[in-house]
Amino acid sequence: MTTSQRWQRILIVLGCAVIAYAVLAPLTSLDGAQALNLPLLTDKLWFRLATITAMFVVMATAWNIIGGLTGYAAFGNVAFFGIGAYTTGMLIAKAKWPFLLALPLAPVAAAIFAVLVGLPLLRLRGHYFAVASLGVGVAVGELVQNLDYRGEPIFGGASGLFMPIFAVPNRDLYFFYLMLGAAGVSIAVTWAVIRSRFGYGLIAIRENEEAAAVIGVNTTAYKVAAFALAAALTGLAGGIFAQWNVFIDQENSFPIAYNVEMILMALLGGTGTVFGPAAGAVVLQLLIQFLSGSLPITLDLPFVPEDAMPVLAQVVLGVLLALVVIFAPRGVIDFFGGRSRLTIAYLRRSLRETSI
Amino acid sequence: MTPQLDLRNVTKRFGGVAAVDGVTFSIAKGEILGVIGPNGAGKTTLLNCISGVYRLDGGDIRWHGVSIAGLAPYRVARLGVGRTFQIVKPFGSMTVRENVAVGALFGSDSERPPLRAAFDRADSVLELVGLRSKADLPVSALTIPDRKRLEVARAVATRPKLLLLDEVMAGLNNVEIDDALEMVRAVHETGVTVVLIEHVMRVIVGVCERVIVLDLGRTLADGQPDVVLRDERVIQAYLGERYARRLRGG
Repeated sequence: MTTSQRWQRILIVLGCAVIAYAVLAPLTSLDGAQALNLPLLTDKLWFRLATITAMFVVMATAWNIIGGLTGYAAFGNVAFFGIGAYTTGMLIAKAKWPFLLALPLAPVAAAIFAVLVGLPLLRLRGHYFAVASLGVGVAVGELVQNLDYRGEPIFGGASGLFMPIFAVPNRDLYFFYLMLGAAGVSIAVTWAVIRSRFGYGLIAIRENEEAAAVIGVNTTAYKVAAFALAAALTGLAGGIFAQWNVFIDQENSFPIAYNVEMILMALLGGTGTVFGPAAGAVVLQLLIQFLSGSLPITLDLPFVPEDAMPVLAQVVLGVLLALVVIFAPRGVIDFFGGRSRLTIAYLRRSLRETSI
Repeated sequence: MTPQLDLRNVTKRFGGVAAVDGVTFSIAKGEILGVIGPNGAGKTTLLNCISGVYRLDGGDIRWHGVSIAGLAPYRVARLGVGRTFQIVKPFGSMTVRENVAVGALFGSDSERPPLRAAFDRADSVLELVGLRSKADLPVSALTIPDRKRLEVARAVATRPKLLLLDEVMAGLNNVEIDDALEMVRAVHETGVTVVLIEHVMRVIVGVCERVIVLDLGRTLADGQPDVVLRDERVIQAYLGERYARRLRGG
């Protein structure tokens, strides 16, 4: 075993230990930790951060199914998140359904919507599809906010929807685990898809759609199915978000920024892989929170006033996106598992491959 | 007996130009047929019509007596019509074996294998076309002749009853052409009907029992290679008016 392999193993073990602690510690020692006043476990903010991170793991992993495996750069997946959120939101707030009964309908509604828009949209290729899907993402949010029936907003309009608080002990912990479960489901689904006939069909479509068709892949059905699967998972995250946040409106359920962030996460981690998008989501979400000053460790930069930090975060994200696309087009995950090593030679080779 | 594939008056226009103009012929099961013609004769267009990539503007195509005109490419493939592309279209991110296994996973409707069996089938097809030793290489590591082999292998893996090969010899040198012919014969011997679309006449003569010559979208000749290649209209279409006159002793 070489030194680098040994280091890699140590890093993986350490990483797993940290993740295990982060995931399991709150369950066993929440009260104890609060008594001891340990920083991470008592802080409401920590749960919020962890839950949001898990939420982005779901979105980036789901995007990977249509964007990474099938090769269709969907820029409007936030529509599925919002539809999921509003499905549970409407059922709870207006129809008075219990949360756990309303939640399963979120992925169903998002998937049905994906099939309806996917059938016409997935006939478009490349940037045409990207732009059209972005249009859908924006349009759905506007529709939800502005649709009226006899002068009354159907979906709560600009004032949004309020839900009763879901009564469980340790509510923060409950929603953290729920979102974590959704993240686990997304990763497991991707794992299963990649090893199936369906997955090979999707990758064949990504690599050459015409060749896939003439060997017998029903390309339309496969693309729509991939889109619907991504939508269902994203919708599930939206459904959990709605009840967790108690209040939803256009701004928090259809943020256009999520579109960019989930794609950036998948690219950063490695599109087309099982764990890449999840890894990218964790790293990037922590970076976003760090730069915007939400983490216990903060950054004090000279000449940058504190209230300008979120803006700086956006700038850093933009620069990062450019660097990743140019220098590590296969994502950071490429450096794990012994396939490639991060060297100057790797970066130069990538630069050659990504430039004309 | 009903022919395996029956083309009647097949017509395909692009704007005002008829790329395929009323082509009629049929193919019997087990045949090995050559389709030749100069550039722009409509060979590839005809193939695209058969495999469903293009919609017909006229005429009909029948598979065992049933019309397949207007079917989507994947439906034609599932009936058992395999094809290759003149400009190869491999799945770049996959290994050679995976490329062929995907062909086996999908393809003809008869007995779609599970994943493991598809990879086994890929190995035996790679053996047949002579790519067994390169199974684990990425496509990018293959030479041009090997990429053409891979294109054929993926199509063969789909369990076709009829295989349409679009200029698999183009761009190969004489030794490579002989190797490729050997491969085509091996595939034909497994019981597959083969249609070889070629630009180079030499190729056709060596392996085909019957040849169809296309020119400007029409059938110029249809018959045994040695007869067809002596046909004056064929010589004229291929080698030009002046050469034909010289042959006549003018």
